[in-house]
Amino acid sequence: MNAPSAERIACIECDLLVQVGELHGGQRAACPRCGNTLTAPAPDGLTRTLAFALGACVLLLAANAFPFLALEAKGLEQVMTLPRTAVELYRDGYATLAVLVLGPIIGIPALMLATMLALLVPIRRRVRAPWLVPAGRLLFLLSPWSMVEVFVIGVLVSLVKIGAMASVVLGISFWAYVGFAVCFTASLSSLDRFEIWREIEACTA
Amino acid sequence: MSSFPAGTAAAEGLASCHVCLKVAPESLGRCPRCRARLHLREPNSIQRTMALLATASLLYIPANVLPIMTTEQLGRATGSTIIGGVVILIHHGDYPIAAVIFIASVLVPLSKLFVLGWLCWSVSRRQPSSHHERTRLYRAAELVGKWSMTDVFVVAILVALIQFAGILRFTPGTAALAFGGVVIVTMLAAHAFDPRLIWDQLGDSDD
Repeated sequence: MNAPSAERIACIECDLLVQVGELHGGQRAACPRCGNTLTAPAPDGLTRTLAFALGACVLLLAANAFPFLALEAKGLEQVMTLPRTAVELYRDGYATLAVLVLGPIIGIPALMLATMLALLVPIRRRVRAPWLVPAGRLLFLLSPWSMVEVFVIGVLVSLVKIGAMASVVLGISFWAYVGFAVCFTASLSSLDRFEIWREIEACTA
Repeated sequence: MSSFPAGTAAAEGLASCHVCLKVAPESLGRCPRCRARLHLREPNSIQRTMALLATASLLYIPANVLPIMTTEQLGRATGSTIIGGVVILIHHGDYPIAAVIFIASVLVPLSKLFVLGWLCWSVSRRQPSSHHERTRLYRAAELVGKWSMTDVFVVAILVALIQFAGILRFTPGTAALAFGGVVIVTMLAAHAFDPRLIWDQLGDSDD
């Protein structure tokens, strides 16, 4: 009963039923009617996703552990770290803003990374883990709400705005966060939704 | 709405699971793979999208009228709105940054409201415009949504970084929350809109 190539996909944008054959090394299946990508499994997609996810984990930890930006103006110095940003916003009574900002840039990506590890490690080892289906649902529920790349642009805009008032020094954490954003995005882009659910099914069936 | 165009999953009574993409008979009720509810189309898609668009439009008013950030310099507090911030940047000659903020905070949310509103209108009126073009518009609206958060992030960074008591201090304004609300609600609206509705009228016109 091993016939994954016989599977039909309904295009999520126009609902056309398409019979997708076996794809090889980086091929992309597109909807013949609306052009939407149906599935595009990267070669070694699971391994690549896992590797980038592990890298992203380490860099995210580093991004939280060191100074993010430092500011010098007229002999005064101020250092900002990401966790302290959350604490300060909360203490000043801007709890909602703290959640609105730190959620999409740290909280949700961290949760997504944990979910990805919880999915990919058992799948690669062909272990039947009871949490695979809920983890898969959680991952695709969270993914629209991660805004790591938007935050990097936000930091760059802030640098220009502050640059007029004081000199800003980029901390280790800033570079760690940029690296994290790159790894995290690369990890997500080599994760094919159709493929991962087929793997989950193969592990739970 | 009773019949679906030939060749679609819905025409065969099959629903594609919105969580795991599995194609399964809608009569099962729940997806056999991930247990999510199965629907041929998003239930009440147009109605929910329109409701969310109305909410976002209302939130957009305080987001632009109220100050997004207050600057306290030597005891003097001045608030600046989103547009005010763009004008100040232009006066300073920071054109690229002014453009980034203008695009992210004004152009993207407004065009998103108009595009989704027009898509809802054209689908519910069965208006004969190009399916390809409308699908492309929908993709664009969905893709650019989160970039509007840029200005909210900038406010948070300035507030956290610049805290020189008595000399220079930034505090976030109510507009920052309202604008964050606009971004979240328009993202929900794009998510609620079902692009398959565009293609359900394929029999109506030539494309």
